[in-house]
Amino acid sequence: MTELTTNFAGIELRNPVLLASGTCGYGDELAPFLDLSRLGGIVTKTITPEPRPGNAPPRIVETAAGMLNSIGLQNPGLEGFIRDKWPYLARLDTRILVNIAAPTAALHGEMAARLEHVEGIAGIEVNISSPNMKDGGMLFGCSPTASHEVIAAVRAATQRPVIAKLTPNVTDITSIARAVVDGGADGIAMINTLLGMAVDWRERRPILGNVTGGLSGPAIKPVALALLWKVRQAVEVPIMGLGGIATAADALEFLVTGASAVQVGTATFIEPGGAADIVAGIESQCLEAGIERVEELVGTLRM
Amino acid sequence: MSQAPTVAAVTARVEATTQVTGAFFQTRLLVPEVTVEPGQFVQLRPRPRQGLYPFLRVPLSVSAVDAEGGLIDVLYELVGPKTGALRALGVGDEVGFLGPLGKPFPVPSAGTTPILVGGGIGVPPLIYFGTCLRAADRDPILVVGARSSDKHLPDGLLEPASSQIRRATDDGSLGHNGLVTDLLEQALGASLTAPVVYTCGPHGMMAAVARLCARRDVPCFASLEAYMACGIGVCVGCVVERADKDSQPSADGHYARVCVDGPVFDAQEIVW
Repeated sequence: MTELTTNFAGIELRNPVLLASGTCGYGDELAPFLDLSRLGGIVTKTITPEPRPGNAPPRIVETAAGMLNSIGLQNPGLEGFIRDKWPYLARLDTRILVNIAAPTAALHGEMAARLEHVEGIAGIEVNISSPNMKDGGMLFGCSPTASHEVIAAVRAATQRPVIAKLTPNVTDITSIARAVVDGGADGIAMINTLLGMAVDWRERRPILGNVTGGLSGPAIKPVALALLWKVRQAVEVPIMGLGGIATAADALEFLVTGASAVQVGTATFIEPGGAADIVAGIESQCLEAGIERVEELVGTLRM
Repeated sequence: MSQAPTVAAVTARVEATTQVTGAFFQTRLLVPEVTVEPGQFVQLRPRPRQGLYPFLRVPLSVSAVDAEGGLIDVLYELVGPKTGALRALGVGDEVGFLGPLGKPFPVPSAGTTPILVGGGIGVPPLIYFGTCLRAADRDPILVVGARSSDKHLPDGLLEPASSQIRRATDDGSLGHNGLVTDLLEQALGASLTAPVVYTCGPHGMMAAVARLCARRDVPCFASLEAYMACGIGVCVGCVVERADKDSQPSADGHYARVCVDGPVFDAQEIVW
């Protein structure tokens, strides 16, 4: 048996595999396909202070080895989440990280403060990286100063582990990583989607209603690994790796490169129960390789 | 919660693939554990053990079901690598199968006259629906349109669905030279008892059908197509704007998901 338990920034995980924000809703729709108690945890779809309708369709288009989305953070808002979504999540036997986004640093702090009164949340993931939010998200995550300000506001409002989710759409991701750690982040999740666009040349139109969207899926895995490698060398806090993970081998590559845990995202859209197969695959491949504890693998890339 | 837990993620096997006409193909799948109601759809993944490409599953409507034999037919047009991969499968090959997905066509209440209006590759789910209606002694009127005669499905496929088939082509090469809405207008003018329209086809055609029905105060149900990822309501990608968005309790209810709230909608519920 390989020991899969993982401590991530003080959060005890059954195993290092979580479902990424925006790809598992609030758990309920996936439950028929996947025993969520087999996972390390799930990260909720982003919630904002007020409900949001999201962007005009089309919101999805397939691209080479991946897809673009421009959902635009459709969500029931903080109070709607607590009232309608949390009671179900609270009953699940897995760690729940709540992902938040807001138009100002102060509002991020207010959201974290409100969630402080909700029992059972394992940690707060701060979305400073959505490319589909016109009044936040990547707008903060592209600037070290703004990233610092948002994370510091959340840090001041919560006792819970704070995880900053970073965007790859920056010149130097290590400067953002240092800024969020300096602001008090206990961990980093990376990467969010890459800004992308698809065009119908006959119609001479962008395919997405929002014109641009976020690229995810296997196409972005090499980008995610390279950025993970850079950030791993720049900061000390644990990192959750994501970006194109679809198999156990993908997940193990992220662990070796320096991620302490991983998130499975777009792959769930193809195999709704796939994350549990990834957990099983990590276990069997570690066993085969004679690895006793999965934590032994983290950051062991030979250079 | 919004999704009944009866959706199965299983492996189906190809029983046969036949060329229906031109670029239209029908693949028969053996899926003993699943039943699909008319209007529901499935998502397929050709050769699931051989990697991730093409990437997202193919959402397809169902044209026929043999519940006893555990058989489901999907009828599709070859348009790209996904349908190409499906077409290329041989007898016995594996297909990742997710379904049944979405809500079926509402059964027409007693005393009404069902009229099915299909265009192009939107016709197959109406064939299955019509076949079930006929089996229940509710022979519907079937109105089908296509660009030209070679884009029409063959009579043999349509006949199980209706004894009253009316065809239109844009170029006049078969049946009425014009639009399906002309034929629908004719049908509705013939003093039918409580007509109810069900439509599936190109967006513009369905929008015209919906407008005509609204004008004549005829109930209309439309089966929508959308760019889609998960198919089970998680990703919120395949949305359509609700007509009553302003009276929704939350801004979150501005859009409906085609995959789980549809694909069949009352035409008055959505923005065309």
